[in-house]
Amino acid sequence: MSEAEAQLAQTPLHAEHIRLGGKMVPFAGFDMPVQYPDGALKEYTAVRKGAAGIFDISHMGQVRITGPQALDFLQYVTTNDVSKLVDGQVQYSALLNEAGTFIDDITTYRMNDDAYYLCINAANRHKDVEHLLACAPAFDVAVADESDDTTLLALQGAAAQKLLQALCDVDLDGIGYYRFAECTLDGAQAIVSRTGYTGEDGFELYLPNEAAISIWNALLVAGAVPIGLAARDMLRTEMGYALYGHEISAEVTPVEAKLMWITKLDKGEFIGRDAVAARKAQGPTRVLIALKLTERGIPREHYPVLVDGVLSGEVTSGMHSPMAGGLALAYVKPEHACDGELTVEIRGKAVAALRTTTPFVRSNVRK
Amino acid sequence: MTIPADLKYTKEHEWVRIEGDTATFGISDHAQEALGDIVFVELPEIGRTLAAGDAFAVVESVKAVSDVYAPVGGEVIAVNEELEGEPEKINTDPYGSGWIVRVKIGGDSAELLDEAAYTTFLEE
Repeated sequence: MSEAEAQLAQTPLHAEHIRLGGKMVPFAGFDMPVQYPDGALKEYTAVRKGAAGIFDISHMGQVRITGPQALDFLQYVTTNDVSKLVDGQVQYSALLNEAGTFIDDITTYRMNDDAYYLCINAANRHKDVEHLLACAPAFDVAVADESDDTTLLALQGAAAQKLLQALCDVDLDGIGYYRFAECTLDGAQAIVSRTGYTGEDGFELYLPNEAAISIWNALLVAGAVPIGLAARDMLRTEMGYALYGHEISAEVTPVEAKLMWITKLDKGEFIGRDAVAARKAQGPTRVLIALKLTERGIPREHYPVLVDGVLSGEVTSGMHSPMAGGLALAYVKPEHACDGELTVEIRGKAVAALRTTTPFVRSNVRK
Repeated sequence: MTIPADLKYTKEHEWVRIEGDTATFGISDHAQEALGDIVFVELPEIGRTLAAGDAFAVVESVKAVSDVYAPVGGEVIAVNEELEGEPEKINTDPYGSGWIVRVKIGGDSAELLDEAAYTTFLEE
């Protein structure tokens, strides 16, 4: 084993992935399954076509924010309007730096007035926690990184609710989209939210590590299909969902990333607001678009995107969709944001594409 | 994993079946398994002349893009067009219906391994 491999972190389900024959790869500092023996396409199909897939996403981080000024603190460090949340509601949001570019994209869970919970990206965990801790002293709040104690599973697909209900003491039907409940799952205290990254109905389950293996296996026995990183990326790309390090990064603001819908400039002061307002007034430096190839090929990350034969930008995420063919998210120059016809350069050859809208395939989330 | 005894292999995991003055190329069972589900194949044009070691096709799996290199030189006389619609044949039948091209041999050869040598190579 090389030194780099030796340093990879493991989730509480690592031995289960090995036992299932998962092909393990380094991902965000963790040794994670990219696929299981049936392969990414079958895993993808299980989630899209009526079954349910189970994903170990414990590499992601969780931070609990508590105290009398929890709301004020979150209004200041996140982009979305946290005052709009009611108890038991989840919100997609972001952390920006003073330059208005992304530190991370996150979800914010409101337990009550004095208690919130953030889910953050694995690769950004330490940076996010440092940033939150650096901002906290000005507020009466406590910031607790609970990532190491928390297992996060996603159960996604049309059958998800049915499989989960058998283990859960609350009526899942009562949990709406982007809502959550604190409940008992197979005897363990858990947070169950109707959220996900696939475009299918489903849940994300925050569990104490001690309960991880038994719940994972109970869901497998009930018929859930284990899903690796490759199928997860196919499912999210088909939805056009942004992924940190691809569509969003410290290089772009929400204006470029088409994430002004989670950036509420009129909610009051927050980190990055003035820079984003200025960028919005000046116009973006580049624009995120969706495109679909009209000829054969697979657009991959970093492939050049051209308009009228002139380089305009590059692919940030691309794939071959079993339902929609070659498709991609890409940044292009703002003057090309409305152009319908583009080409993607694939191994030196210009392959025709058309601008389109996301999701690339139909979303089945419960609205 | 299967490694048929009637074929020769390269260290880049192509196989070649030599019959008279023609040779058929594909990728080995090991290669298809390492790549995972293959979703796209780019084939060469008929008539193209290949030297041994030339990249003549591209196979793309869900996550990876891989060149396929010619085990021996020659002129492309047939390509497996069925792979354009059913690239997964490379996964399900790498030595049969998953063949990629056929050439009329006319040129040099890469270092070719027999079944035993390829098996040893994979074990190393």
